[in-house]
Amino acid sequence: MIRIRGLTKHYRVHKRPPGLGAAIRSVFHREYTLVKAVDGLDFDVARGERVGFLGPNGAGKTTTLKMLSGLLHPTSGELSVDGHLPQSRETAFLKKIMLVMGQKQQLLWDLPPAETFELNRAIYDVPKDEFRKRLDELISLLEIGDQIGKPTRQLSLGERMKCELAAALVHGPRVLFLDEPTIGLDVSMQVVMRDFIRRYTEQFGATLLLTSHYMDDVAALCPRVVVIDKGQLSFDGKLEALVQKVRPEKRLTLRFSAPVAKERVAELGTVVRHDAAESVIQIPHDSVNGAVGRALAELPVVDLNVENPPLEEVMSELFGRSRAARAEGESAS
Amino acid sequence: MTRYLRLLGIQLRASALLAAQYRWDFVVDGVISLFWAFTAIVPLFVVYGARRTGIPGWSFGEALVVTGWFILLQGILDGAINPGLAQVVDHIRKGTLDFVLLKPADAQFLVSTSKFALWRIFSVVSAFVIFGLAFRELGRLPAAVGVLESLALLVAATVLLYSLWILIVSAAFFVVKVDNLTYLFSSIFDAARWPSSVFRGALRTVFTFVIPLAVMTTFPAEALLGRLERSTLLGAMVGALVFASLARLVWIKSIGHYSSAGG
Amino acid sequence: MSSLKALPTLLRIGFSEAIVYRAEMLIWVLATTMPLIMLALWTAVAEVAPVAGLAGRTWSSGSFVAYFLIVFIVRQLISSWAAWEINFEVRQGTLAMRLLRPIHPITSYMAGNLAYLPQRFLVTLPIVVVLVLSPGLEHLSKSPAVWAMWAFSLVGGWMITFFANIAIGALSLFIESSVKIMDVWLAAFFVFSGYLFPIDLFPAWLRSASDWLPFRYQIGVPVELVTGGLTVEQAWPLLLRQWGWALGLLMLALTLWQVGVRRFQAVGG
Repeated sequence: MIRIRGLTKHYRVHKRPPGLGAAIRSVFHREYTLVKAVDGLDFDVARGERVGFLGPNGAGKTTTLKMLSGLLHPTSGELSVDGHLPQSRETAFLKKIMLVMGQKQQLLWDLPPAETFELNRAIYDVPKDEFRKRLDELISLLEIGDQIGKPTRQLSLGERMKCELAAALVHGPRVLFLDEPTIGLDVSMQVVMRDFIRRYTEQFGATLLLTSHYMDDVAALCPRVVVIDKGQLSFDGKLEALVQKVRPEKRLTLRFSAPVAKERVAELGTVVRHDAAESVIQIPHDSVNGAVGRALAELPVVDLNVENPPLEEVMSELFGRSRAARAEGESAS
Repeated sequence: MTRYLRLLGIQLRASALLAAQYRWDFVVDGVISLFWAFTAIVPLFVVYGARRTGIPGWSFGEALVVTGWFILLQGILDGAINPGLAQVVDHIRKGTLDFVLLKPADAQFLVSTSKFALWRIFSVVSAFVIFGLAFRELGRLPAAVGVLESLALLVAATVLLYSLWILIVSAAFFVVKVDNLTYLFSSIFDAARWPSSVFRGALRTVFTFVIPLAVMTTFPAEALLGRLERSTLLGAMVGALVFASLARLVWIKSIGHYSSAGG
Repeated sequence: MSSLKALPTLLRIGFSEAIVYRAEMLIWVLATTMPLIMLALWTAVAEVAPVAGLAGRTWSSGSFVAYFLIVFIVRQLISSWAAWEINFEVRQGTLAMRLLRPIHPITSYMAGNLAYLPQRFLVTLPIVVVLVLSPGLEHLSKSPAVWAMWAFSLVGGWMITFFANIAIGALSLFIESSVKIMDVWLAAFFVFSGYLFPIDLFPAWLRSASDWLPFRYQIGVPVELVTGGLTVEQAWPLLLRQWGWALGLLMLALTLWQVGVRRFQAVGG
């Protein structure tokens, strides 16, 4: 469905030094720096697949999505979405895809969302009954029946985002590029959006490429994740495998019937948290069994639990590492 | 007080930085200022063309003085007053005015000085060139008293423009979409390029008392020409003061309305 | 082709938007009352002695009334603001949303601008009433054929305004913001279009300049046509030039837009 080979996007950015004098000088003489937003990216996405697209801020995620939706020309590399070359922006291609950016809206601000739906019906040339049917589905799935008649400006952020999504889907796109679709929404609204996106992609066999700062979005929607950093691919595979790679440790939570000294727990692994009644330890993957055995044999354990570290921590570790590596690279050069 | 002066300095500096960032606008701005000055004079050439009497009661040179004042005040309006207005309207639309209100300084001062279009200096220069041409045409120099009077009126005119501006901004708190109020203001101000005597009846009342354009260009011009009556001068000064207090009052009321309406 | 099919819906929704923004539009209209101010000025001038035009025509207050009221009406009907819209969208990054749609953006700008016409027409009605009751009435053409030509010239005038807007708006895809260029265009428009004063009153050098610029064909030609400034025989060649400008600007706008969008895709928004 999506095929990316050696994709690069380089920008020339005007370098503006601070200070008034420098600013005035820069009017006459400009210095540019080359920014490699995307720098040799390869991956494929199969039809109907849902892929989480992750990376720290400035990693090139949005740039890649914009190239995939035809808004940006690649500097070099091959790109194809369902057999189309995105940058030529053929009508047939534009009708198949949709890019939703959490921070940019397409709804007409002072008119009810229903008007935007109608506008998109005309623009995407959707047959009347097909439009009716799909819109009814979207309205019941997203529960926006009461909102679509009110001017957009009167809707809450969550309601607006749901309507935004509905407007993006009235033409039944088969490829969805979602850029931070749940940004700023509260937790329950995020859950609603996630469920809806999953159901839509399953029902229509739609392909999804999603970027999000909320790891729960990715965990709930995307079996596969692609991580990029500094415009390059740094991981491609299952989410669990990513967790394994970044944090090859499991978390063991022990609850005690009698106080236990910290030193004794520390023999099992790295202590994350410890008090008299409970202790959380981090243990390498392959030594979990041994540690559990020892704990049960040597300590007054009443309850025991093994789990993966929280996803948010995994991500911050992953991106933290890349930041540290970058800082190192910069100081070295 | 010194704190406010320092703030003003910082805001001016920020405007200078901003202006320097857009090099195209940089060049174009200078051209525009000259162009506006040119377009302000062309109508005079048409009205005072061959075989025409021109505006009753005003010779070509005298009308040119009015045009000079118009260009000068337009420079002040577009350089120091309008940019701030545009910012406030923007703030209200985006709901970011709260950030301004949170700051521990007078909000009116902050928004008034938030942005300057420094390239309007060109207009001021053009205005003085036109004054020079006008008095050469008239074949005399303005009297010292006249210059002093007109300077006093310049202050009054700036205060009036600024107060009108505050009143318009205050309207923005009540009406939803008002991005174009700046444009409306500038286009009404355009009427000030003519001596106020051309306006009759209702228009004359409006331009003397409601939107006192006469005070801004015609009165200072008459002062420079040495034919302004003292009582008119005094009336203009008092009027400006009344306008300023009214504007401040409306501003405070509007801020109250904004806060209580919850943005 | 699908663009044309979508046009009625685009216009209908644009019209609902125009209704929502009626207060805003009224402010825009109030901001274009310059012809009324010029009317005050010129009648004051004409009161002392009738004003002599270049072509030997004499302007009384009545003919100024007819001229400037028609100028007001024509300005309302040929207006466009696409250049500001494009600049705004480029700055906000919302142009991307427009580019994602399978319809030519110029079509949607056109629909958006045309959708305001019914309201603008409504606004001109009071002026029409004033005109009919004023001494200006006798200076208006009574020939239906001339008024038909007037309507035709309005289409050409609108096209010049609109495509100049698109062309200048498209420049913002190259240079961050083209609002300043639009300001220069407008300043020239005010001077050379016949908006501030009839072209007939121009000094000779300004008059020949206005012949070679597009502005007179936006306002001056339609207005002169029905206020006795032009005979039908004189009008035809001018209408031809008007349509020349309209089509030329159309080509320029399309080209600039196409190249601009390609550049926009290259450097990103």
